Amino acid sequence: MYTLDEVIKNKINGLNYGNRILLPFKAQLLKVIIESDIITDFSRSSKGIQLVEHDEFLDLYFLEYQGLSDSLSKFEAIKIVLVEKGKDIFDWNNHRKIALYLSEKHKVTIEETEADILFIE
Amino acid sequence: MKKFFFIGLTFFVSRNIFAVETKSVTDSLVTAGGHASQLPNPIMVFPFIVLLLLIATGPIFYKHFWERNYHKISILLGLVTVSYYLGFLNDFKSVEHSITEYISFIALLTSLFIASGSILIKVNFKATPIANVLFLLFGAVISNLIGTTGASMLLIRPFIKMNRERMKPYLIIFFIFIVSNVGGALTPIGDPPLFLGFLRGVPFFWVIANVFPMWAIGILITLLIFFLFDISNKKTIDTEVEKGKRLIELKGSKNLIYFVIIIVSVFIDPKVMSWVPSLSPFPLGIREIIMFAVAFASFKSSDLEILKANEFDFEPIKEVAYLFIGIFLTMIPALQLIAFESRVYSHYLTQATFYWSTGALSSVLDNAPTYLNFLSAAMGKFGLDINLSAEVKHFVTVDEVYLRAISVGAVFFGAMTYIGNGPNFMVKSISERAGIEMPSFFTYIIKYSLPILLPIFTIIWFIFFRG
Repeated sequence: MYTLDEVIKNKINGLNYGNRILLPFKAQLLKVIIESDIITDFSRSSKGIQLVEHDEFLDLYFLEYQGLSDSLSKFEAIKIVLVEKGKDIFDWNNHRKIALYLSEKHKVTIEETEADILFIE
Repeated sequence: MKKFFFIGLTFFVSRNIFAVETKSVTDSLVTAGGHASQLPNPIMVFPFIVLLLLIATGPIFYKHFWERNYHKISILLGLVTVSYYLGFLNDFKSVEHSITEYISFIALLTSLFIASGSILIKVNFKATPIANVLFLLFGAVISNLIGTTGASMLLIRPFIKMNRERMKPYLIIFFIFIVSNVGGALTPIGDPPLFLGFLRGVPFFWVIANVFPMWAIGILITLLIFFLFDISNKKTIDTEVEKGKRLIELKGSKNLIYFVIIIVSVFIDPKVMSWVPSLSPFPLGIREIIMFAVAFASFKSSDLEILKANEFDFEPIKEVAYLFIGIFLTMIPALQLIAFESRVYSHYLTQATFYWSTGALSSVLDNAPTYLNFLSAAMGKFGLDINLSAEVKHFVTVDEVYLRAISVGAVFFGAMTYIGNGPNFMVKSISERAGIEMPSFFTYIIKYSLPILLPIFTIIWFIFFRG
């Protein structure tokens, strides 16, 4: 399993199939923004997103979307506020903001959000 | 409230069911695009009402169904009206006229949308209440030069960024009030209804000459209220200037030239400049070709980093394009019937009626077709036809108080709801994509527009449109 820093530094991609995103690290999500939907409910009863944690990666299912690549342009990001698994969620310094861009061949580029990208936690 | 307006509109139009039976054939003729055509059956207003109701309720109550199907629904309803005009009335001219107008409208919006999406403004200064007031005032002024759509797209990101440490929904709401709506009341480029009026024959500088006093009062009071809100935001001090950086940074400045071309091209119309060739019978002219070319060139020459930073997406303009083709087609019968009926009931219509009626409908419907409907009604009161450019010019010179009331009502009241004007939804969408939880449709009305805007609009009515 990779750490988030390794993923960003080594430009390791995630994957996308339909409404599913696979992230190559484990984390606690705090906020997900996709198009104009702001999702903060990650409980089992959530209608927006379903999380499945595996040993080596994290699965995200966007339940309201049929195919993410149909909804997002190549300039649009899925933005996530998260805390890496094992780190103190209550320490503000551990809150990381990442942007996911869908690209060809089911790849998902994972970037730490730049200053230009609007992202209010 | 919406129901009341729709019932009112339906009642206004439906009286024609009885009128048609008692009037002579000559009386039941209307003119469209300079030709006489038969008055449509009032039931043909139904697709227009259905479409407007769906636009109002779709994004709120059945969002994902609406997102997947709005384009089919809009085109289908438009085709119902087109089939009626071509198949039953043998009236091709009315449809052709509406399509021509739609292409002009969408060419302007598309070019402004794409050109502004290719520019990135970065600000690096404290978001103090004074700085915010000056920023919004600047937005109000510039929206008259690049349109409320262009100004909103260009300025909402730096506005969010400079307020990122003290972000609260009221900041975005006032941005919508001032930059996306009221600000753009001074020129036909400012807001789509005024541009439609310009296309119909309202002189370009008539608007600023007649609407400036209402604009100044509206902007002044709204900014004053905003200032009071903003000084109570205690987080002001948190936002510091980053040392060593310029206060304002502009990326993609070459695209500003595209804005200039778009603005100049607005005047390239055979009705404005006699040397401009008409491309009739094609439903577009030199102006529209220039605007579409600018849109294409602007996008193709854009810096990918800027598009990425702006999270550029064609979806907002695609939505406007699909919805408005339906609106422009389905509103043909409503426009013709209102013009006809207003001749019959002209003595009931005062400037106050026009101000509040245009305003009330612009709040919950789109303000562009509402403006046209009431301009048609005001002209009908004097036996004039909105479809004849010469008659529009005549109307402007002799009865300008009505057009003033309609212009102010259409532009200002567009701020009352998210659906009152195109940029409102775009700003809401950009803010939500930035992670800001915006108030719901009804919270926006109850918490912000009714207590803040309605009193301001009442003051404007009291000063200018009481008669």
